Amino acid sequence: MPVTLTRRAALRGGLAGLGLAGLGAAGLTGCGGAPATAAIPEAGPAGPARRGGRMVIARPPASGAETLDPASSLSAYEYLGALYDRLVVLDDTGAAVPGLAESWESTPDARTWRFRLRRGVTFHHGRELTAADAVHTLRRILDPATSSPMAGVFAGLLEPAGLSAPDRYTLQVALAKPAAELPSLLSGYQCGVLPASGEIGVGTGPFVLGGFTPAGRGGVTAHEDHWAGRPHLDEIAFASVADAQARTNALLAGQVHLLMQTNLDTATARVVASSPRTTVARSRNAQWYTIPMLATAAPFTDPAVRDAVRLAYDPQAVLDTAARDAGVVGGDNPVPPEQRDWVSTLRPRDPDRARSLLRRAGAEGLELDVYTSAYDPLFTPVAVAFADSLADAGIRARLVTAPADSYYTQVWMTRPLCVSYWFTGRPIDQLLNQIFRSGSSYNESAWADPRFDAMLDAARAETDAARRRTLYQDAQRYVATHGSALTPMFADRLVGMSRDVRGYREHGFEFDYRGLGFA
Amino acid sequence: MTAYVLRRLGVSVLTLLLASVLVFVALQALPGDLATQLLGRDATPDAVAALREQLGLDRPAWERYLGWLGAALTGDLGTSLVSGDPVTADLAVHLRNTLLVAGPAVLVGIPLAVALGVVAGLYRDRAPDLVISTICLVGMSVPEFVVATVLVLLLAITVPLAPAVVLDGPTAPVADLAGAIWLPAIALTTVMAAYIVRMARAGVIDTMGSEFVTTATLKGVPRGRIVLAHVLPSALLPTLNVIAVNLAWLIGGAVVVEAVFNYPGVGTLMLRAVQNRDVPTLQAVAVLGAVVYVVVNLAADLAAMALDPRLRSTR
Repeated sequence: MPVTLTRRAALRGGLAGLGLAGLGAAGLTGCGGAPATAAIPEAGPAGPARRGGRMVIARPPASGAETLDPASSLSAYEYLGALYDRLVVLDDTGAAVPGLAESWESTPDARTWRFRLRRGVTFHHGRELTAADAVHTLRRILDPATSSPMAGVFAGLLEPAGLSAPDRYTLQVALAKPAAELPSLLSGYQCGVLPASGEIGVGTGPFVLGGFTPAGRGGVTAHEDHWAGRPHLDEIAFASVADAQARTNALLAGQVHLLMQTNLDTATARVVASSPRTTVARSRNAQWYTIPMLATAAPFTDPAVRDAVRLAYDPQAVLDTAARDAGVVGGDNPVPPEQRDWVSTLRPRDPDRARSLLRRAGAEGLELDVYTSAYDPLFTPVAVAFADSLADAGIRARLVTAPADSYYTQVWMTRPLCVSYWFTGRPIDQLLNQIFRSGSSYNESAWADPRFDAMLDAARAETDAARRRTLYQDAQRYVATHGSALTPMFADRLVGMSRDVRGYREHGFEFDYRGLGFA
Repeated sequence: MTAYVLRRLGVSVLTLLLASVLVFVALQALPGDLATQLLGRDATPDAVAALREQLGLDRPAWERYLGWLGAALTGDLGTSLVSGDPVTADLAVHLRNTLLVAGPAVLVGIPLAVALGVVAGLYRDRAPDLVISTICLVGMSVPEFVVATVLVLLLAITVPLAPAVVLDGPTAPVADLAGAIWLPAIALTTVMAAYIVRMARAGVIDTMGSEFVTTATLKGVPRGRIVLAHVLPSALLPTLNVIAVNLAWLIGGAVVVEAVFNYPGVGTLMLRAVQNRDVPTLQAVAVLGAVVYVVVNLAADLAAMALDPRLRSTR
């Protein structure tokens, strides 16, 4: 008897077979794999790290034009913290604490600063760190030829001539305007200190460069004479894996020990956490999701429409849909809750008031396009929950999915409404000035409010820490009620790692390479 | 015969030229350029302008194309806009890596596929055919990234026989890559073989029903001889072109399979060049793809002429 076999039947039978095959390891694609109850661990494996070992870390390559120049916008991020130290680092409350500078002081007007450098710090090539190296590092950032993304942070504040070295271990910074938060601004990962002799790839950091290929393999070895003590690991090997799923597969197969700069989606994180070889740690509130309403584009040129959208959408629904228990509600305040100057801006949503605001603005039955893309796994869940919740105020929001590879050049800062995110970790002064100040190149909502700019200037000039804190809190309340960018939530980064990894600590842009090791 | 080959080669040059124009135009039509792609969110107007000037992207598109074409005619495919390395060397090393995977897939996969197709055709609707056809339909129906992912799941994670992904860069020595080529090779073979098996099976069934086979059978020619000497040459004619297309696919860029395994072959090079809008690299990949396509198709047609005397006499 002839048996007819159709493509449909074969596909059905075939997929059943694949399903059986997938039972063993709970399905890589996350469709119906691990039980929904499998919890994602709150923290990575605890316990002391032993000395020694070679850790393989998988990283997403930025591009074939990657460089080890910390100041460049094309830098290979994962190498920077291993190779370079900065003058100042941030603790997990966002406070500036000593790095290569062991102390600092300013004149009462916060315009002239002196940073005293640690003595006896050596570069990887053996020479001692001096103030001339710090001057060189900061001048490179200010040099337009470097096109450093950090240059904008110092614009109007610092000129190359303002940097000097009164003695071998003192860096003097003379500012054009007062900046009471200057030390924290020097903590940026672009500020890794380079030797004045001009080499790139040589720093004072906990690891010495072994090899580097853009978008390829590379490695670093322990810096025996690091000023804070030798790192636990002997060696770190970096492997560039462009595809996030391939990175996860490499971890599950035991080829790599840690995935850097990789936020596992919830389904994948459950698979990784339930594998006998691997587990998941969290970098708390590592990214904040934002929905910028472009203040220069209709309909958001009308502040009443922006207010209505802010009152209408449901941040809790966004969090529940997109991040569940791996995040917190943002309250339209971009400052993360761990930040010592953070203030709560949460308030109840009010779709009815939003509706009446729209009616008064003549924008009843508003229709909006919300742009999203596969650039980040949480964009679309955020967009879906956001768009759905707007319906309560009679706003009809339609999702538009744009290609991921040109999202940040064609959609972001171009379309009136899109979903985006930032990594948290900017010091509060930089965060508010870089992303919310009128005319800043990173001001994604093109919001321009002279009152807010004046608040930032006042905070920057205030040398009394308690009063400055109050001013920054006022600025947060202002941006949360008048700003043009919504901040529905902060989300943890779910970091996949081998179960024998110890000492993983990461907050913001601070990654503890020295403490990392094996059980 | 020689005139035919020369004419085909002449047309091929035109094909190559058209392919390079099309790729160039398509890249211009994509949103963004190298400067904006590399800088991403750091693409401030100043930074973009500086990078464009540095890369010569501020010149008009036609001028850049003609400059590229002029150099390409002298054998210089230019330098990658991203890495600054010569494109020829870059392409050569990625092609080497692709051939490492394509080699086993072709040498083992194609003869196996043809043999399976013939068996299925001869045992039409009986047990061997049902088994082979079912497997092939599944192979054709399941997307290649699923095949690749299932292979990783089974042979790298559950039973760690081979590495799940390639951690080496493109310039790694062959010895370092050797351990990692098997899973991508199996994935490619599975996807490619299915089509060839189906085609060979159809060809055999068709030919077995033809009058000359009936005549030979009635004449008392042994079945083995009928199959080998009479059926195979005719049955394989349509299969040749399917094999040619698959070869071109293998060498010209198995993008998806390479991405799953992070394999540094031509497909990965192409994907990265598109994402970065790296025009010289992508032009080189396109030209390679066109060359391979033209050559394998020509080879398929020549092989068809060798198999079928009727094709020869008409020329």
